[in-house]
Amino acid sequence: MIPVPYYLTISAVLFTVGMAGVLVRRNALVIFMAIELMLNSVNLTFVAFARQLAAIEGQVAVFFVIVIAAVEVVVGLAIIIAIFRARSTVDIDDVDLLRG
Amino acid sequence: MLSLIIFLPLLGGLIILFLPKTSERAMKQIALICSTASLVFSLLAVTQFRLGGGMQFQERYSWIPSIAVNYHLGVDGLSLPLIVLTAVLSVLSVIYSWRMDVRLKEYLFLFLLLETGMLGVFAALDFFLFYIFWEVTLVPMYFLIGIWGGPRREYAAIKFFLYTLVGSLAMLLAILILYFNAEPHTFSMLELIRQQPLADAPLLAALAFWGFFLSFAIKVPMWPFHTWLPDAHVEAPTAGSVILAGILLKMGTYGFVRVSLPMLPGTFKAYAFFIAVLALLGIVYGALVAMAQTDLKKLVAYSSVNHMGYVMLGIAAAAGAVGDPSKAAAAATALNGAVFEMIAHGIITGGLFFIVGVLYDYRAHTRGVDEFGGLGARLPVYSGITTLAMLASLGLPGLMGFVAEFLVFLGSFGVFPYLTAVAVTGVVFTAAMFLWTIQRIFLGPLNPRWATLADMDAREKLTLVPLAVLMVIFGLYPKPLLDLINAAMSGLVTALR
Amino acid sequence: MSASDLWSIVPELWLAGLAIFLLLVDLLTARKSLVGVVAVMGLLLSIIPIGSLLTQGARTVIFGSYAVDGFAVFFKILTVIATALVVLAAIDWLPGRSQYEGEFYALLVFTALGLVLMAASTDIILLALSIEFVSLTSYVLAGYLKGDVKSNEAGVKYFLYGAAASAVMLFGFSILYGLTGSTNLYEIARRVANAPLPALYLSIALMLSGFGFKISMVPFHQWTPDVYEGAPTPVAAYLSVASKAAGFAALVRMLMVVVDPGRLNWILLIAVLSAVSMTLGNLLALPQRNIKRMLAYSSISHAGFLLIGVAAFRGDFGTPGLLIYLLGYMFTQLGAFFVAALIGQQLGTDDIPDYAGLSRRAPVSALLMAVFMLSLTGFPPTSVFIGKFYVLAGAIDNGLLWLAIVGVVNSVISLYYYAGVIRAMYVMPAASTVPLREPAALQVALGIAGLGTLLIGLYPQPIIDLARSAVLLLRI
Repeated sequence: MIPVPYYLTISAVLFTVGMAGVLVRRNALVIFMAIELMLNSVNLTFVAFARQLAAIEGQVAVFFVIVIAAVEVVVGLAIIIAIFRARSTVDIDDVDLLRG
Repeated sequence: MLSLIIFLPLLGGLIILFLPKTSERAMKQIALICSTASLVFSLLAVTQFRLGGGMQFQERYSWIPSIAVNYHLGVDGLSLPLIVLTAVLSVLSVIYSWRMDVRLKEYLFLFLLLETGMLGVFAALDFFLFYIFWEVTLVPMYFLIGIWGGPRREYAAIKFFLYTLVGSLAMLLAILILYFNAEPHTFSMLELIRQQPLADAPLLAALAFWGFFLSFAIKVPMWPFHTWLPDAHVEAPTAGSVILAGILLKMGTYGFVRVSLPMLPGTFKAYAFFIAVLALLGIVYGALVAMAQTDLKKLVAYSSVNHMGYVMLGIAAAAGAVGDPSKAAAAATALNGAVFEMIAHGIITGGLFFIVGVLYDYRAHTRGVDEFGGLGARLPVYSGITTLAMLASLGLPGLMGFVAEFLVFLGSFGVFPYLTAVAVTGVVFTAAMFLWTIQRIFLGPLNPRWATLADMDAREKLTLVPLAVLMVIFGLYPKPLLDLINAAMSGLVTALR
Repeated sequence: MSASDLWSIVPELWLAGLAIFLLLVDLLTARKSLVGVVAVMGLLLSIIPIGSLLTQGARTVIFGSYAVDGFAVFFKILTVIATALVVLAAIDWLPGRSQYEGEFYALLVFTALGLVLMAASTDIILLALSIEFVSLTSYVLAGYLKGDVKSNEAGVKYFLYGAAASAVMLFGFSILYGLTGSTNLYEIARRVANAPLPALYLSIALMLSGFGFKISMVPFHQWTPDVYEGAPTPVAAYLSVASKAAGFAALVRMLMVVVDPGRLNWILLIAVLSAVSMTLGNLLALPQRNIKRMLAYSSISHAGFLLIGVAAFRGDFGTPGLLIYLLGYMFTQLGAFFVAALIGQQLGTDDIPDYAGLSRRAPVSALLMAVFMLSLTGFPPTSVFIGKFYVLAGAIDNGLLWLAIVGVVNSVISLYYYAGVIRAMYVMPAASTVPLREPAALQVALGIAGLGTLLIGLYPQPIIDLARSAVLLLRI
């Protein structure tokens, strides 16, 4: 069996990759995908801990996080589409009416 | 009684706020009635005041019990004269402002709000209440300067606002330090004086002291915190200048006597010499800079820095004598002088700002000292009152300023002899400055530009004659006022010995 | 779980029912302002079940995941009042800008439900869900004006920022769960003593990003000015008070229940964040010309002030002060935004210089705006003064004198830009003297905000009692 710390390491790596994606990429959709990656690293952590501690709450939490991710897709994509229709771009550096 | 005195003006202000914009006459009448009523009640309080009776007319109601805040008012020989002075100058300012026509409603409302704030500061015996009234005075003054002021009014107004807010917030911290060190926690000033909560905590005491110091010194203003004053004075409308010089500056010195001295005597004593030096610098600096001014209003403003220096010298001397019974008599004299100077400066400088306003607002529209000349023959009444006020300000015996300065010097000499000796030279500069000013404005050949200038009208006389009369009366017979002050000050000095 | 548990969450059920009912009303009527009126009535009625909770003792319901205590009740009251006022203001503001009026009110009420849940959650799963709930409805509200590119931009920025922040926070939750094996806050508090310290630090730091985002604390504040400027003005008002308040509720509950400061010194961390938020927010507010951006930066600075109350949690001043501050700030900040909404609607501008001569054109609104600006600066007798007084007192009581001094210095700086608004309204000459129309519902909302600001300032005793009892129950 693969020890729990391995899972945690993987999830930490996933989280870091996601974080880096959010900070580095300028395309709103890609940023959005990076956020999904972070949410999945959260899931992995929850499951790994739930397994290690033999406590069920972690697995329950995962279901909720999946729901959260799904709802974010619904709302987020709608907002991104709205801005794409108005500006024909989803590059967040071009979305710069508000500054000062 | 005290609540009535304090809140009558505010009541009038609120009524004015709800009057239609067109009924200007009614607004002015309400303002006059309310401020006069306040004055009448304050005079009534004087007649019922018992000398040596300590705090009187006390009112005390629970306000915010969970932090032990009370609505607590009371007056003694220190605050009562200041309350009467406030009421007098407010009534006169309303009379003087009769011709005001720009945004009258807002003007009168702010003015009356300001009066309530000032009266409240002098009557409050609870720090929370004191702080609220203290802050309430800032806002109307900002508007008075900002809306009705001179050409650089916006700059002057915000400078005044920022400066004094720094001070009052520093005071808030100091108040909180006192509050948390008292047991039980209290905002009552009398209780804090009795408890002396910081007597054994020198570091906290020093912090609290400098917090209060910053607040009061900015208000006084002491050198080097005075830089807001010339701007504010020059730009403020006449009535605003009068109130600013006559009352608001006194709030600073009042704070030193009411708060710093009795609550933190040990700390004040430790820094008394330093503060006396600052006061001395203010005296000399104020007089010298005033001499160099050609703007009449600026000249009076700097002479205020000079005069408030005398007040601070007297207070610092009293602080320097804390804990030294052999100097108690000198301390009492110095304090009496300082408080008397507060009143005297309120009357005299208030009068001087009216005088400048009479010339500037409705006649010459210039304040350049050098642009006048020979007005003495043209405006006899005006010249007479101006000369009287300036002589009183420079400390001519027989007038009010002399009594005050004499007492200050007499008392301070017993504590800081060398500093006092230097300070006396300030009088020479002041005298030179005012005499020179009188000469430049009233003597010499008449500048033909002013050939058609009219003398003071009835309303202006009504404003200035009472002040002139007071200057003479208290100059010749200061005893009633001095007794009143002395009753409070000797008690304070006894407590500090 | 029992039937009495359901009775304890009647306010939440009421809000959920109200929101659904509003959607129905919206279907059935063509007069959309009716939906708003129904929303206000429904929100006001919810005060009855909320008030009935006041008399009951503190407890948790639904398997210990949901608190029914004074603290939660306080935030329920705050949220309901704020929502009602914002709906009231939106009734006059929204028509002509969006064709989906009814849904707007329903979304606001849904958001209120989320905020109420957030303030009362004692289980990290429920907490995460309610925070997400609030975020999702807020994203939609921020980008509500589909035809307005600024609103779109506000929506997308808020969304990307918020989603990233909550992902980070969830990662923090997962670590906390791993350290303790429980999702219940009280259970976690019992077990956390054995957790390794570095991991605990990491999880707290990660969680702070989520809370910090909600309360717009530095360094999670960058979204604030853009979103406030672009979002519909009532929404910006709502985010700046209700969302911030709920964020503070969750933060305080988390820190005070879970983490013993003796073990992990979060006091210093919060104090430093507070000082930085105050200062940075203020300095950035100074050059602003747009009133909504200015209020956004000032709200960052107020978040710093509120954090003083979190850091100074010992004694009778800090935490009650935080609650008093939040309530007082709610009235004042809402009022300021309502005036901005009024001007935005009547003059079509949010620039402060365009407020010139407002004292002539809309004297009542100008007077109220002046009161709000002075209140935000902290002048007595106004509500924010009482709040500032309390948190400063708390700082001194807790030996954080340096933080109090930072706060005081920042108050002085803030005067400069708040006075700038007053200067424009009262000192600068009017470009036109045509009186402005002042719509009725907006006027009512403004009046209530003004009244609240002054009443709390003049007679704070009832609010103080409420806040104290709220905090008392939290500590059990």
